[in-house]
Amino acid sequence: MVNDGSSLSKDLTPEQFKRFRDYIHQHSGIYLEESKSDSLRISLITRATRFGFAALDDYFKLLSTDESEFNELMNLVTINETSFFRFPAQFEALRQFIVPEIVEAKPETQRSFRVWSAGCSTGEEPYSASMTLLDSGLEGLGYKLEVFGTDVSTNALERAKAGVYPSRALLNIPHSVATRFFEPTPEGHRVADRARRLVDFQFHNLIKEPYPLGLMGNWDVIFCRNVTIYFKLESTRRVVDNFFNSLNPGGYLFIGHSETLTSISDRFEPVEVGGVFLYRKPQQRHTSFARVVEQRRGESRRPLAKQTDAAVRVGRRDRVRSAPPGAIVDERTGVAEKADIPGLIVSARKASEEGRSKDVLKIVEDVLAVDPSNAEVYLLAAYSHADSGDLQTALEECKRSIVLDPLSAAAHYVLGIIYQRQSEPERALQEFRRTIYLDADFVLAHFNMANIHRAKGVKLEACRSYENALRSLYRTPEGEWTWFLGGFRPDLLAQTCERSLLECRKKA
Amino acid sequence: MASARILAVDDSPTILEMIKAILLQGGYEVITAMDGAEALETARAEMPDLILLDVMLPKLDGYRVCRLLKFDQKYKGIPIIMLTAKTEEQAMATGIRTGANQYLTKPIEPERLLGAVAEELQKAQG
Repeated sequence: MVNDGSSLSKDLTPEQFKRFRDYIHQHSGIYLEESKSDSLRISLITRATRFGFAALDDYFKLLSTDESEFNELMNLVTINETSFFRFPAQFEALRQFIVPEIVEAKPETQRSFRVWSAGCSTGEEPYSASMTLLDSGLEGLGYKLEVFGTDVSTNALERAKAGVYPSRALLNIPHSVATRFFEPTPEGHRVADRARRLVDFQFHNLIKEPYPLGLMGNWDVIFCRNVTIYFKLESTRRVVDNFFNSLNPGGYLFIGHSETLTSISDRFEPVEVGGVFLYRKPQQRHTSFARVVEQRRGESRRPLAKQTDAAVRVGRRDRVRSAPPGAIVDERTGVAEKADIPGLIVSARKASEEGRSKDVLKIVEDVLAVDPSNAEVYLLAAYSHADSGDLQTALEECKRSIVLDPLSAAAHYVLGIIYQRQSEPERALQEFRRTIYLDADFVLAHFNMANIHRAKGVKLEACRSYENALRSLYRTPEGEWTWFLGGFRPDLLAQTCERSLLECRKKA
Repeated sequence: MASARILAVDDSPTILEMIKAILLQGGYEVITAMDGAEALETARAEMPDLILLDVMLPKLDGYRVCRLLKFDQKYKGIPIIMLTAKTEEQAMATGIRTGANQYLTKPIEPERLLGAVAEELQKAQG
């Protein structure tokens, strides 16, 4: 059944199309018209070949039992699907957090705000950005607003410039926005002039270098969703590098809601803002030592603190008072320069494994005195507090860790565990989903999701999660998650999953 | 003979599920608790045949749960196996002083756990 994919039939029969279409419709709400048959066919073949399936029917079996594979397929299927305010949370984050943050950091003399929508297709994204900027109230403060859309498809750009859309393109838009920014015409809904005048379009191929001068530099926000899905890895790296160079310090890159730059670029700071993951170009290139100094002086006043927890900052500053034994203290600044942080973390982990909570917390204090933004030790502290039953403190420490490193699968897992113990299954599920999003093979997250579903009596979901846990376990029998097994062997976890799966199937 | 009923106590849902799996595989009936207070309450209400007790527990730690049961005429006959990550002799001594019948350190292997359970059940009946 499994081969290298070369003998996979490249045709999608009408029956197969219906079967996949109905499944996708049922599970995502997206209904693919007949005209999408070819794009669906290409997506299916891409995924099926990856697993070496000889027939699309075999791939269907996988798809219907594996939630993460379904997400992968949907990423491909929806690449060219576009609508106004697609992923509304991202636009909400732009208006509510990003615009104020960037404006606050700008010099008084620099009164402009520029957004580039790279790969703008038929224009829905740049127009959405334009409407968002208008609603942010920046114009009233005398800011010049600019939105620039580029694409490789001249057809798409023509339609973008025309700016007239069918009703279904307006599905995500609240009525209040639709009435303010669209005018009904016999041809469809036309973007109103007030939103149009900020937007300009130009042909541009992201892969072609060097970029024209007008695109290089001085962007506050760049949207490029699906960049990591669309291009090959090497090209993606270069494109993302070009974005980095083109952004102002403190500027943001918006990528697709299910994409990550892990293993593509480490130049950006990952940030979670209002529930969405974004990438920020650092204000200045700090060494971690410089960051310590900056924080000691209390000069760090990023507006992001508004939406993070004020306690995070207070807590951090409190801890920077004394240097740990063994650290070399600079007499002029009073800041510890060196400490064997990796060594200390190893001892903390060992202490944690042996259940010596007090020792863990002592080491955590020592590390934070030198490196107050060390996400890993906050996580160790969280785990220790959870272990000794102090769930409230555990929760606070874990949230601190996530603020510092929002893309840590382990941190979201621990947060899930804490919520689970606080009898908040829905929140726990959400954190386990985030964990899996960041590390698809985080076996324990699948396992705990399964247990929660089973406790809720949702047997089918439980079965699916147990299956996912087993699949991940076979794929990666060891990972970051093994540390959380509390000394049990992974094969015992496999047995547990198998037994629970059988039980659930019996009852399902 | 009806299968023995075992109370497993651990505050980690993950670990508890795994301990449960081992015990079910050994043919035992399993009830669970997730903190010290719940453990005490369940032990008193359900009179299990044996208790597997984690040391690090919220509300009341495992040692105190063990001591409270072992000092009570009515419950002192229930065998208690303490589970812990602690390796120091000091901790071991505390465990024994509280009256625990056995002391298992993590990592816990299924065979070792089932062996200890069978041994304590046999002693309790004999």
